[in-house]
Amino acid sequence: MIYLDSGATTLQKPAAVPRATARAMTRMASPGRGGHRPAALAAETVYRCREEAAALFDVPSPEQVVFTSSATHGLNIALASLVKPGDTILLSGYEHNAVTRPLAAADVTVRTVRAPLFDAEAFLDAFDRALAGKVDCVVLTHVSNVFGFILPVEEASHRCAALGVPLIVDASQSAGCLPVRLDGWKAAFVAMPGHKGLYGPQGTGILLCGRPGECILRGGTGSASRRQEMPEFLPDRQEAGTHNVCGIAGLLEGLRFVRRSGPEEILAHEQALCRRLARGLEAVPGLQVFAADRPERQSGVLSVRHERMDCETLGAELARRDIAVRAGLHCAPYAHAVAGTLETGTVRLSFSAFNTPEEVDRTVRTAAQILRETQG
Amino acid sequence: MLPNYLIICRSLTYAQRTASVLERAGIRAPIQRAPKQAAGDGCTHAVRVAEHQLAAALAVLNRAELSPTRVFMQDGWGGVEEVTP
Repeated sequence: MIYLDSGATTLQKPAAVPRATARAMTRMASPGRGGHRPAALAAETVYRCREEAAALFDVPSPEQVVFTSSATHGLNIALASLVKPGDTILLSGYEHNAVTRPLAAADVTVRTVRAPLFDAEAFLDAFDRALAGKVDCVVLTHVSNVFGFILPVEEASHRCAALGVPLIVDASQSAGCLPVRLDGWKAAFVAMPGHKGLYGPQGTGILLCGRPGECILRGGTGSASRRQEMPEFLPDRQEAGTHNVCGIAGLLEGLRFVRRSGPEEILAHEQALCRRLARGLEAVPGLQVFAADRPERQSGVLSVRHERMDCETLGAELARRDIAVRAGLHCAPYAHAVAGTLETGTVRLSFSAFNTPEEVDRTVRTAAQILRETQG
Repeated sequence: MLPNYLIICRSLTYAQRTASVLERAGIRAPIQRAPKQAAGDGCTHAVRVAEHQLAAALAVLNRAELSPTRVFMQDGWGGVEEVTP
């Protein structure tokens, strides 16, 4: 199979990831819940994972690395911590439903930055104009999960910091291949999943915390147990209940793989494959390819649509030929609205460190064949 | 049996960070659950250091801005007595 759906979940993992996950299942108990060896081993593993994440993501202290079940979970904590009724929230315009649905359920005004796809300079101009009005919190997607547009988060973060506007970054598509910097961005929170570019198991996630935040889950933490309020300190404040130790053990190996390989090397590999794919698909009649004029502004994510064939049909035809992609709206209607693809959706092809140029070439040939055969 | 000293930490993660700083400074610092009498608000963890290394450990933690609020001396029975850091 050719797996081109790493924007959803990386399927090919470093061998150490499933090994560590399975090992944890039979050897590790729960951190902080006992003084015995299985608990100590779990505690050691979880702490190593915090340290690894802190080193990779410019986090001053491992306590500021909170384990969540997903990026969605982390974003919900971040939004519950910063958003109050009546607030005005500024979004990049590329946010996933993980951001926009919690905001839709809150009594807030949502504004979006209006700028053309892949135009970082126009984005920053529009961002500056939007920031000049009332803004209580900014939420930025680092990379669009639909189009791979790399947003200028670094520059935007400096503007937020200068104005004292709290910033939440959704690093779901960037963690593992782009610089993600809690401290450098002076961000309030940065959320990411463990199962995409960090090569961990599904059900893992990380929230980098610039502040303790509000609790959306309350319960046992193995600390300050006489008190009925949640601890004020991280990570305990945000980690009620038993940790996903097996997942975290796998995530630790995923993080080690990323650090060993180098995020910049992984990005360069994925971008090269993305450009090769875009060039190949642009030659296929009827296909519209959403590729950046400046390739450095696009990660290893590419969306396409056909002038006649429904995106779900094209996705299904590729799946029938053992090529895994994702079709539809990708849980990101805001991004599709920006690009004018809300009514049609797109087929998204997304890469990981394990894809090859040969897979790209076969995908191009297969897509061309499907469309040729359909046109008869 | 020589007494050990327990540096009480507010959480397991804080204890792990404390131990990590001490180990990097060459001071053996295993983590253990804090004895009930020393746990304050309830369950917590502590870092154990030998008597002859206590002063050095506290100096290292002070430099790392991890100054403990409470330190206990523990006897072989698990009994503890608070000492002034």
